[in-house]
Amino acid sequence: MTPRPAAAVTGLGLVTAAGVGAGAAWQGVTRSGAPSGVRHRAELQGLSCDFLYTIDDLDTESVLGVPALRMMDRFSQLAVIAAREAVADAGLDTSVWETDRVAVVIGSAHGGLPFYDRQSAVLAEKGVRRVSPKLAPMTTVNSAASSVCMDLGARGPSLSVSTACSSGTVAIGTALQLLRGGACDIVIAGGAESVCSRLLIASACQMRAVSTRRDDPATACRPFDADRDGFVVGEGAGLVVLERPEHAAARGARIRAGIAGYGASSDAYAAVAPDPGGAGIERALRTALADAGVAAADVGHVNAHGTSTVMNDLIEATVLHRVLGDRPLVTSTKAMTGHALGAAGGIETALTVLALERQLVPPTGNFRTRDIRIPVDVVAKEARPAAFECAVKTSMGFGGHNAALVLTKSC
Amino acid sequence: MGVDCRVTVTEEITTLLHRNFGIEPEAVRIEASLHDLGMDSLALEELRVLLEERLDIDLEDVQLTSRETVGQLATAVDEKTAR
Repeated sequence: MTPRPAAAVTGLGLVTAAGVGAGAAWQGVTRSGAPSGVRHRAELQGLSCDFLYTIDDLDTESVLGVPALRMMDRFSQLAVIAAREAVADAGLDTSVWETDRVAVVIGSAHGGLPFYDRQSAVLAEKGVRRVSPKLAPMTTVNSAASSVCMDLGARGPSLSVSTACSSGTVAIGTALQLLRGGACDIVIAGGAESVCSRLLIASACQMRAVSTRRDDPATACRPFDADRDGFVVGEGAGLVVLERPEHAAARGARIRAGIAGYGASSDAYAAVAPDPGGAGIERALRTALADAGVAAADVGHVNAHGTSTVMNDLIEATVLHRVLGDRPLVTSTKAMTGHALGAAGGIETALTVLALERQLVPPTGNFRTRDIRIPVDVVAKEARPAAFECAVKTSMGFGGHNAALVLTKSC
Repeated sequence: MGVDCRVTVTEEITTLLHRNFGIEPEAVRIEASLHDLGMDSLALEELRVLLEERLDIDLEDVQLTSRETVGQLATAVDEKTAR
Protein backbone atom coordinates (compact mmCIF):
# COMPACT_ATOMS: atom_id res chain seq x y z
CA MET A 1 0.00 0.00 0.00
CA THR A 2 1.30 3.43 -0.89
CA PRO A 3 1.51 5.64 2.21
CA ARG A 4 -1.20 8.26 2.39
CA PRO A 5 -0.81 11.82 3.62
CA ALA A 6 -0.20 12.32 7.31
CA ALA A 7 -1.84 14.78 9.64
CA ALA A 8 0.22 17.21 11.65
CA VAL A 9 -0.36 17.33 15.39
CA THR A 10 -0.20 20.99 16.34
CA GLY A 11 -1.89 21.04 19.74
CA LEU A 12 -2.46 18.87 22.80
CA GLY A 13 -5.02 19.03 25.58
CA LEU A 14 -4.87 16.67 28.55
CA VAL A 15 -7.10 16.48 31.59
CA THR A 16 -6.17 13.35 33.52
CA ALA A 17 -5.94 11.88 36.98
CA ALA A 18 -2.16 12.00 36.54
CA GLY A 19 -2.27 15.75 35.97
CA VAL A 20 -4.36 18.54 34.45
CA GLY A 21 -2.71 20.12 31.43
CA ALA A 22 -0.29 18.41 29.07
CA GLY A 23 2.78 19.38 31.09
CA ALA A 24 1.36 18.16 34.39
CA ALA A 25 0.02 14.96 32.82
CA TRP A 26 3.42 14.21 31.31
CA GLN A 27 5.07 14.78 34.67
CA GLY A 28 2.48 12.50 36.22
CA VAL A 29 3.06 9.59 33.87
CA THR A 30 6.84 9.82 33.69
CA ARG A 31 7.59 9.97 37.38
CA SER A 32 8.50 6.86 39.33
CA GLY A 33 6.40 5.54 42.17
CA ALA A 34 2.73 4.97 42.83
CA PRO A 35 -0.02 6.95 41.10
CA SER A 36 -1.51 9.88 42.97
CA GLY A 37 -4.96 10.03 41.39
CA VAL A 38 -6.54 6.82 42.65
CA ARG A 39 -8.78 6.85 45.70
CA HIS A 40 -11.72 5.20 47.42
CA ARG A 41 -15.08 6.77 46.62
CA ALA A 42 -17.94 6.95 49.10
CA GLU A 43 -20.52 6.30 46.39
CA LEU A 44 -18.85 2.98 45.60
CA GLN A 45 -18.88 1.74 49.19
CA GLY A 46 -19.59 -1.97 49.45
CA LEU A 47 -18.54 -2.82 45.90
CA SER A 48 -15.68 -5.24 45.30
CA CYS A 49 -13.95 -2.36 43.50
CA ASP A 50 -14.67 0.82 45.48
CA PHE A 51 -11.92 3.00 44.03
CA LEU A 52 -11.32 5.05 40.89
CA TYR A 53 -8.81 7.41 39.35
CA THR A 54 -10.37 10.88 39.65
CA ILE A 55 -9.38 14.47 39.00
CA ASP A 56 -9.94 16.33 42.23
CA ASP A 57 -7.93 19.50 41.71
CA LEU A 58 -10.10 20.93 38.96
CA ASP A 59 -12.75 23.57 39.71
CA THR A 60 -14.90 23.13 36.62
CA GLU A 61 -17.40 25.78 37.74
CA SER A 62 -14.82 28.54 37.88
CA VAL A 63 -13.20 27.38 34.61
CA LEU A 64 -16.40 27.00 32.60
CA GLY A 65 -18.96 29.17 34.41
CA VAL A 66 -22.47 28.14 35.45
CA PRO A 67 -24.28 28.92 32.16
CA ALA A 68 -22.06 26.53 30.20
CA LEU A 69 -21.66 24.04 33.01
CA ARG A 70 -25.39 23.48 33.46
CA MET A 71 -25.72 21.78 30.09
CA MET A 72 -22.76 19.44 30.43
CA ASP A 73 -22.24 16.24 32.31
CA ARG A 74 -18.70 15.85 33.54
CA PHE A 75 -17.31 14.07 30.47
CA SER A 76 -18.32 17.04 28.32
CA GLN A 77 -16.82 19.46 30.83
CA LEU A 78 -13.49 17.65 30.67
CA ALA A 79 -13.67 17.64 26.86
CA VAL A 80 -14.20 21.40 26.71
CA ILE A 81 -11.33 22.09 29.10
CA ALA A 82 -9.01 19.82 27.09
CA ALA A 83 -10.17 21.39 23.82
CA ARG A 84 -9.42 24.90 25.05
CA GLU A 85 -5.93 23.79 26.01
CA ALA A 86 -5.33 22.00 22.69
CA VAL A 87 -6.48 24.97 20.62
CA ALA A 88 -4.38 27.40 22.65
CA ASP A 89 -1.40 25.07 22.37
CA ALA A 90 -1.85 25.02 18.59
CA GLY A 91 -1.70 28.81 18.56
CA LEU A 92 -5.14 29.04 16.97
CA ASP A 93 -7.19 32.19 17.37
CA THR A 94 -10.85 31.17 17.41
CA SER A 95 -11.94 34.73 16.67
CA VAL A 96 -10.36 34.65 13.22
CA TRP A 97 -10.19 30.99 12.18
CA GLU A 98 -12.26 29.81 9.25
CA THR A 99 -14.91 28.33 11.48
CA ASP A 100 -16.70 26.26 8.81
CA ARG A 101 -13.46 24.36 8.20
CA VAL A 102 -12.95 23.29 11.83
CA ALA A 103 -14.17 19.80 12.68
CA VAL A 104 -14.61 18.12 16.04
CA VAL A 105 -14.49 14.34 16.56
CA ILE A 106 -14.73 13.10 20.13
CA GLY A 107 -15.01 9.55 21.35
CA SER A 108 -16.69 8.37 24.52
CA ALA A 109 -17.91 4.98 25.64
CA HIS A 110 -20.58 5.96 28.14
CA GLY A 111 -21.31 9.65 27.60
CA GLY A 112 -23.35 11.16 30.39
CA LEU A 113 -24.06 7.94 32.23
CA PRO A 114 -23.59 9.52 35.70
CA PHE A 115 -26.35 12.06 34.99
CA TYR A 116 -28.53 9.26 33.66
CA ASP A 117 -27.83 7.29 36.85
CA ARG A 118 -28.77 10.27 39.07
CA GLN A 119 -31.93 10.97 37.12
CA SER A 120 -32.97 7.32 37.39
CA ALA A 121 -32.80 7.81 41.15
CA VAL A 122 -34.87 11.00 40.88
CA LEU A 123 -37.51 9.14 38.89
CA ALA A 124 -37.66 6.34 41.45
CA GLU A 125 -37.69 8.61 44.49
CA LYS A 126 -39.66 11.68 43.36
CA GLY A 127 -41.61 10.68 40.29
CA VAL A 128 -41.84 11.79 36.69
CA ARG A 129 -42.45 15.48 37.40
CA ARG A 130 -39.00 15.91 38.92
CA VAL A 131 -37.04 14.35 36.04
CA SER A 132 -34.76 16.83 34.32
CA PRO A 133 -35.66 17.90 30.77
CA LYS A 134 -31.91 17.94 30.08
CA LEU A 135 -31.47 14.17 30.22
CA ALA A 136 -31.21 13.56 26.47
CA PRO A 137 -28.95 16.50 25.55
CA MET A 138 -26.62 15.87 28.48
CA THR A 139 -26.29 12.10 28.34
CA THR A 140 -25.95 11.30 24.65
CA VAL A 141 -22.39 10.55 23.56
CA ASN A 142 -22.44 13.43 21.08
CA SER A 143 -22.81 16.04 23.80
CA ALA A 144 -19.04 16.29 24.31
CA ALA A 145 -18.51 17.13 20.64
CA SER A 146 -21.43 19.55 20.53
CA SER A 147 -20.27 21.24 23.73
CA VAL A 148 -16.79 21.75 22.27
CA CYS A 149 -18.30 23.12 19.05
CA MET A 150 -20.43 25.61 20.97
CA ASP A 151 -17.59 26.62 23.26
CA LEU A 152 -15.09 27.23 20.48
CA GLY A 153 -17.47 28.20 17.69
CA ALA A 154 -16.37 25.29 15.49
CA ARG A 155 -18.88 24.86 12.66
CA GLY A 156 -17.35 22.16 10.45
CA PRO A 157 -18.27 18.47 10.57
CA SER A 158 -18.86 17.34 14.13
CA LEU A 159 -19.25 13.75 15.14
CA SER A 160 -18.96 11.33 17.97
CA VAL A 161 -17.35 7.95 18.02
CA SER A 162 -18.40 5.25 20.41
CA THR A 163 -16.39 2.06 20.13
CA ALA A 164 -16.04 1.35 23.83
CA CYS A 165 -12.45 1.61 25.05
CA SER A 166 -11.00 2.33 21.61
CA SER A 167 -13.27 5.37 21.06
CA GLY A 168 -10.55 7.99 21.47
CA THR A 169 -8.18 6.24 19.07
CA VAL A 170 -10.93 5.68 16.50
CA ALA A 171 -11.86 9.36 16.81
CA ILE A 172 -8.32 10.40 15.89
CA GLY A 173 -8.24 7.90 13.04
CA THR A 174 -11.53 9.28 11.80
CA ALA A 175 -10.13 12.80 12.04
CA LEU A 176 -7.19 11.75 9.88
CA GLN A 177 -9.64 10.48 7.27
CA LEU A 178 -11.67 13.71 7.38
CA LEU A 179 -8.52 15.71 6.67
CA ARG A 180 -7.44 13.39 3.87
CA GLY A 181 -10.90 13.67 2.35
CA GLY A 182 -10.76 17.45 2.41
CA ALA A 183 -13.81 17.86 4.65
CA CYS A 184 -11.99 20.33 6.88
CA ASP A 185 -8.66 22.02 7.53
CA ILE A 186 -8.46 21.57 11.29
CA VAL A 187 -9.79 18.79 13.51
CA ILE A 188 -10.00 18.70 17.28
CA ALA A 189 -10.08 14.99 18.04
CA GLY A 190 -9.74 12.52 20.89
CA GLY A 191 -11.81 11.19 23.73
CA ALA A 192 -13.57 12.14 26.95
CA GLU A 193 -15.01 10.05 29.76
CA SER A 194 -16.19 10.35 33.34
CA VAL A 195 -18.19 7.51 34.81
CA CYS A 196 -18.12 7.84 38.56
CA SER A 197 -21.39 5.95 38.74
CA ARG A 198 -22.33 3.29 41.28
CA LEU A 199 -24.47 1.68 38.61
CA LEU A 200 -21.66 1.24 36.08
CA ILE A 201 -18.96 0.22 38.54
CA ALA A 202 -21.33 -2.29 40.15
CA SER A 203 -21.80 -3.86 36.74
CA ALA A 204 -18.05 -3.87 36.06
CA CYS A 205 -17.59 -5.65 39.40
CA GLN A 206 -20.23 -8.21 38.49
CA MET A 207 -18.40 -8.75 35.21
CA ARG A 208 -15.17 -9.33 37.20
CA ALA A 209 -13.30 -7.06 34.83
CA VAL A 210 -12.00 -4.63 37.45
CA SER A 211 -9.32 -5.03 40.09
CA THR A 212 -10.50 -6.00 43.55
CA ARG A 213 -7.40 -4.81 45.42
CA ARG A 214 -9.39 -2.64 47.81
CA ASP A 215 -6.66 -2.84 50.42
CA ASP A 216 -4.13 -1.17 48.12
CA PRO A 217 -5.80 0.84 45.33
CA ALA A 218 -2.61 2.68 44.39
CA THR A 219 -1.00 -0.52 43.13
CA ALA A 220 -4.18 -2.20 41.85
CA CYS A 221 -3.67 -1.32 38.20
CA ARG A 222 -0.59 -3.30 37.10
CA PRO A 223 -0.42 -3.53 33.31
CA PHE A 224 1.62 -6.47 32.02
CA ASP A 225 2.54 -7.51 35.56
CA ALA A 226 2.29 -11.21 36.43
CA ASP A 227 -0.09 -10.37 39.30
CA ARG A 228 -2.50 -8.14 37.35
CA ASP A 229 -6.13 -8.76 38.25
CA GLY A 230 -8.22 -6.25 36.29
CA PHE A 231 -8.44 -2.64 35.26
CA VAL A 232 -9.26 0.40 37.37
CA VAL A 233 -11.59 2.99 35.89
CA GLY A 234 -10.38 6.56 35.47
CA GLU A 235 -11.80 9.80 34.15
CA GLY A 236 -10.29 12.31 31.78
CA ALA A 237 -10.06 13.82 28.35
CA GLY A 238 -7.29 13.80 25.79
CA LEU A 239 -7.54 15.80 22.59
CA VAL A 240 -5.20 16.68 19.76
CA VAL A 241 -5.42 19.37 17.10
CA LEU A 242 -4.76 17.91 13.66
CA GLU A 243 -4.15 19.73 10.39
CA ARG A 244 -2.77 18.85 7.01
CA PRO A 245 0.97 19.55 7.23
CA GLU A 246 0.82 22.22 4.55
CA HIS A 247 -2.01 24.00 6.37
CA ALA A 248 -0.02 23.97 9.59
CA ALA A 249 3.11 25.16 7.81
CA ALA A 250 1.26 27.97 6.02
CA ARG A 251 0.18 29.51 9.29
CA GLY A 252 3.58 28.97 10.87
CA ALA A 253 2.34 26.48 13.43
CA ARG A 254 4.63 24.30 15.46
CA ILE A 255 4.26 20.72 14.26
CA ARG A 256 4.66 18.51 17.28
CA ALA A 257 4.37 15.13 15.53
CA GLY A 258 2.56 13.39 12.73
CA ILE A 259 -0.35 10.95 12.66
CA ALA A 260 0.84 8.92 9.71
CA GLY A 261 -1.40 5.88 9.67
CA TYR A 262 -4.58 4.40 11.04
CA GLY A 263 -6.04 0.92 11.08
CA ALA A 264 -9.23 -0.45 12.57
CA SER A 265 -10.86 -3.84 12.75
CA SER A 266 -13.50 -5.86 14.51
CA ASP A 267 -12.95 -9.21 16.23
CA ALA A 268 -16.54 -10.32 15.50
CA TYR A 269 -15.93 -12.63 18.42
CA ALA A 270 -17.54 -11.68 21.76
CA ALA A 271 -19.26 -8.83 23.58
CA VAL A 272 -16.43 -8.40 26.07
CA ALA A 273 -13.60 -10.91 25.67
CA PRO A 274 -10.99 -10.20 23.03
CA ASP A 275 -10.29 -12.81 20.38
CA PRO A 276 -7.71 -15.05 22.09
CA GLY A 277 -5.68 -15.25 18.90
CA GLY A 278 -5.45 -11.48 18.58
CA ALA A 279 -6.20 -11.58 14.86
CA GLY A 280 -8.28 -8.39 15.06
CA ILE A 281 -5.75 -6.17 16.79
CA GLU A 282 -3.04 -7.62 14.54
CA ARG A 283 -5.02 -6.63 11.46
CA ALA A 284 -5.59 -3.13 12.79
CA LEU A 285 -1.89 -2.73 13.54
CA ARG A 286 -0.71 -4.06 10.18
CA THR A 287 -3.23 -1.83 8.40
CA ALA A 288 -2.00 1.23 10.28
CA LEU A 289 1.63 0.45 9.42
CA ALA A 290 0.80 0.00 5.74
CA ASP A 291 -1.32 3.16 5.76
CA ALA A 292 1.66 5.07 7.13
CA GLY A 293 4.21 3.36 4.91
CA VAL A 294 6.20 2.53 8.02
CA ALA A 295 8.10 -0.74 8.41
CA ALA A 296 7.55 -2.72 11.57
CA ALA A 297 11.26 -2.49 12.33
CA ASP A 298 11.03 1.31 12.43
CA VAL A 299 8.66 1.38 15.40
CA GLY A 300 10.60 2.24 18.53
CA HIS A 301 7.81 2.71 21.05
CA VAL A 302 4.28 1.48 21.71
CA ASN A 303 1.86 3.11 24.11
CA ALA A 304 -0.22 -0.01 24.53
CA HIS A 305 -3.83 -0.46 25.53
CA GLY A 306 -2.42 -2.40 28.52
CA THR A 307 -5.48 -2.42 30.74
CA SER A 308 -4.13 -4.71 33.47
CA THR A 309 -6.60 -7.48 32.71
CA VAL A 310 -5.13 -10.95 32.30
CA MET A 311 -6.41 -11.49 28.78
CA ASN A 312 -5.97 -8.03 27.22
CA ASP A 313 -2.35 -7.67 28.21
CA LEU A 314 -1.38 -11.19 27.16
CA ILE A 315 -3.09 -11.03 23.77
CA GLU A 316 -1.93 -7.49 23.03
CA ALA A 317 1.69 -8.12 24.00
CA THR A 318 1.77 -11.32 21.96
CA VAL A 319 0.50 -9.47 18.88
CA LEU A 320 2.88 -6.55 19.39
CA HIS A 321 5.80 -8.95 19.50
CA ARG A 322 4.53 -10.93 16.52
CA VAL A 323 4.18 -7.80 14.36
CA LEU A 324 6.88 -5.47 15.68
CA GLY A 325 9.49 -7.82 17.10
CA ASP A 326 11.82 -7.11 20.00
CA ARG A 327 12.67 -3.47 19.35
CA PRO A 328 9.76 -1.36 20.63
CA LEU A 329 9.77 -0.09 24.18
CA VAL A 330 6.27 -0.89 25.36
CA THR A 331 4.45 0.95 28.08
CA SER A 332 0.99 1.35 29.47
CA THR A 333 0.32 4.66 31.13
CA LYS A 334 -2.94 3.42 32.65
CA ALA A 335 -1.33 2.69 36.01
CA MET A 336 -0.96 6.48 36.38
CA THR A 337 -4.13 7.69 34.66
CA GLY A 338 -6.50 4.78 35.27
CA HIS A 339 -8.44 3.29 32.42
CA ALA A 340 -10.35 6.27 31.08
CA LEU A 341 -12.34 4.00 28.75
CA GLY A 342 -13.44 6.04 25.72
CA ALA A 343 -10.97 8.79 26.60
CA ALA A 344 -8.02 6.43 26.90
CA GLY A 345 -7.01 6.51 23.24
CA GLY A 346 -7.10 10.30 23.15
CA ILE A 347 -5.07 10.65 26.33
CA GLU A 348 -2.54 8.04 25.26
CA THR A 349 -2.13 9.40 21.75
CA ALA A 350 -1.32 12.82 23.22
CA LEU A 351 1.16 11.18 25.59
CA THR A 352 2.74 9.35 22.64
CA VAL A 353 3.25 12.71 20.91
CA LEU A 354 5.07 13.92 24.02
CA ALA A 355 7.15 10.71 24.12
CA LEU A 356 8.20 11.28 20.50
CA GLU A 357 9.07 14.91 21.15
CA ARG A 358 11.09 14.20 24.24
CA GLN A 359 12.47 10.83 23.10
CA LEU A 360 11.47 9.43 26.45
CA VAL A 361 9.20 6.45 27.17
CA PRO A 362 7.08 6.67 30.33
CA PRO A 363 7.32 3.72 32.70
CA THR A 364 4.53 1.23 33.24
CA GLY A 365 3.57 2.12 36.80
CA ASN A 366 3.18 -0.62 39.39
CA PHE A 367 5.09 -3.12 37.23
CA ARG A 368 6.89 -5.36 39.70
CA THR A 369 6.85 -8.96 38.54
CA ARG A 370 7.54 -9.99 34.99
CA ASP A 371 5.01 -12.33 33.40
CA ILE A 372 7.03 -14.87 31.46
CA ARG A 373 4.24 -15.11 28.89
CA ILE A 374 4.58 -11.38 28.03
CA PRO A 375 7.19 -11.31 25.26
CA VAL A 376 7.74 -7.55 24.85
CA ASP A 377 10.16 -5.10 26.49
CA VAL A 378 7.95 -3.44 29.09
CA VAL A 379 9.45 -0.20 30.36
CA ALA A 380 9.21 -0.34 34.13
CA LYS A 381 10.19 1.57 37.25
CA GLU A 382 11.42 4.73 35.53
CA ALA A 383 11.12 6.54 32.22
CA ARG A 384 13.60 5.33 29.62
CA PRO A 385 15.32 7.62 27.10
CA ALA A 386 15.44 6.24 23.58
CA ALA A 387 15.94 7.34 19.99
CA PHE A 388 12.91 6.60 17.82
CA GLU A 389 11.21 8.18 14.83
CA CYS A 390 7.99 6.16 14.91
CA ALA A 391 5.60 5.07 17.63
CA VAL A 392 2.35 3.16 17.78
CA LYS A 393 -0.80 3.59 19.84
CA THR A 394 -3.05 0.54 20.13
CA SER A 395 -6.55 0.28 21.57
CA MET A 396 -8.95 -2.62 22.07
CA GLY A 397 -12.58 -2.04 23.01
CA PHE A 398 -15.33 -4.24 24.41
CA GLY A 399 -17.19 -5.72 21.48
CA GLY A 400 -13.95 -6.33 19.61
CA HIS A 401 -13.33 -2.77 18.38
CA ASN A 402 -9.61 -2.63 17.62
CA ALA A 403 -7.67 0.42 16.48
CA ALA A 404 -4.08 1.43 15.92
CA LEU A 405 -2.35 4.68 15.05
CA VAL A 406 1.17 5.18 13.74
CA LEU A 407 2.80 8.39 14.90
CA THR A 408 5.95 9.94 13.54
CA LYS A 409 8.39 12.41 15.06
CA SER A 410 8.13 14.67 12.04
CA CYS A 411 5.80 14.92 9.08
CA MET B 1 -50.57 38.37 51.45
CA GLY B 2 -50.26 38.51 47.67
CA VAL B 3 -47.66 41.28 47.73
CA ASP B 4 -45.53 39.58 50.39
CA CYS B 5 -45.75 36.24 48.62
CA ARG B 6 -44.78 37.80 45.34
CA VAL B 7 -41.68 39.37 46.87
CA THR B 8 -40.74 35.99 48.25
CA VAL B 9 -41.41 34.26 44.94
CA THR B 10 -39.33 36.81 43.07
CA GLU B 11 -36.50 36.20 45.49
CA GLU B 12 -36.83 32.48 44.94
CA ILE B 13 -36.77 32.95 41.18
CA THR B 14 -33.74 35.23 41.47
CA THR B 15 -31.92 32.69 43.61
CA LEU B 16 -32.69 29.81 41.24
CA LEU B 17 -31.68 31.83 38.19
CA HIS B 18 -28.40 32.76 39.82
CA ARG B 19 -27.52 29.37 41.26
CA ASN B 20 -28.60 27.18 38.38
CA PHE B 21 -28.23 29.41 35.34
CA GLY B 22 -25.46 31.80 36.37
CA ILE B 23 -27.64 34.91 35.93
CA GLU B 24 -26.52 37.81 38.10
CA PRO B 25 -29.18 38.83 40.66
CA GLU B 26 -29.07 42.49 39.60
CA ALA B 27 -30.14 41.48 36.08
CA VAL B 28 -33.30 39.80 37.38
CA ARG B 29 -35.63 42.80 37.29
CA ILE B 30 -39.41 42.52 37.28
CA GLU B 31 -39.65 43.94 33.76
CA ALA B 32 -36.84 41.81 32.29
CA SER B 33 -38.02 39.16 29.84
CA LEU B 34 -36.78 35.65 30.35
CA HIS B 35 -35.37 35.81 26.82
CA ASP B 36 -33.31 38.83 27.81
CA LEU B 37 -31.88 36.77 30.64
CA GLY B 38 -30.77 34.12 28.16
CA MET B 39 -33.43 31.58 29.07
CA ASP B 40 -34.29 29.35 26.11
CA SER B 41 -37.16 26.88 25.98
CA LEU B 42 -35.17 24.05 27.56
CA ALA B 43 -33.94 26.33 30.34
CA LEU B 44 -37.54 27.36 31.05
CA GLU B 45 -38.57 23.74 31.44
CA GLU B 46 -35.64 23.19 33.78
CA LEU B 47 -36.72 26.24 35.76
CA ARG B 48 -40.25 24.85 35.93
CA VAL B 49 -38.95 21.63 37.56
CA LEU B 50 -36.78 23.60 39.97
CA LEU B 51 -39.64 25.90 41.02
CA GLU B 52 -42.04 23.01 41.49
CA GLU B 53 -39.57 21.21 43.71
CA ARG B 54 -38.48 24.28 45.64
CA LEU B 55 -41.97 25.60 46.33
CA ASP B 56 -43.84 22.29 46.27
CA ILE B 57 -46.28 23.49 43.63
CA ASP B 58 -47.64 22.21 40.33
CA LEU B 59 -46.91 24.41 37.32
CA GLU B 60 -48.01 21.84 34.74
CA ASP B 61 -50.77 24.05 33.35
CA VAL B 62 -48.69 27.25 33.40
CA GLN B 63 -47.45 28.16 29.95
CA LEU B 64 -43.88 29.36 30.08
CA THR B 65 -42.36 31.26 27.19
CA SER B 66 -39.26 33.35 27.04
CA ARG B 67 -41.38 36.37 26.05
CA GLU B 68 -42.73 36.58 29.57
CA THR B 69 -41.14 38.80 32.12
CA VAL B 70 -39.82 37.87 35.52
CA GLY B 71 -42.80 39.72 36.99
CA GLN B 72 -45.30 37.70 34.96
CA LEU B 73 -43.60 34.48 35.96
CA ALA B 74 -43.65 35.55 39.60
CA THR B 75 -47.36 36.31 39.36
CA ALA B 76 -48.10 32.90 37.82
CA VAL B 77 -46.09 31.15 40.49
CA ASP B 78 -47.65 33.34 43.17
CA GLU B 79 -51.14 32.23 42.10
CA LYS B 80 -50.11 28.62 42.59
CA THR B 81 -48.47 29.19 45.95
CA ALA B 82 -51.50 31.12 47.21
CA ARG B 83 -53.79 28.13 46.68
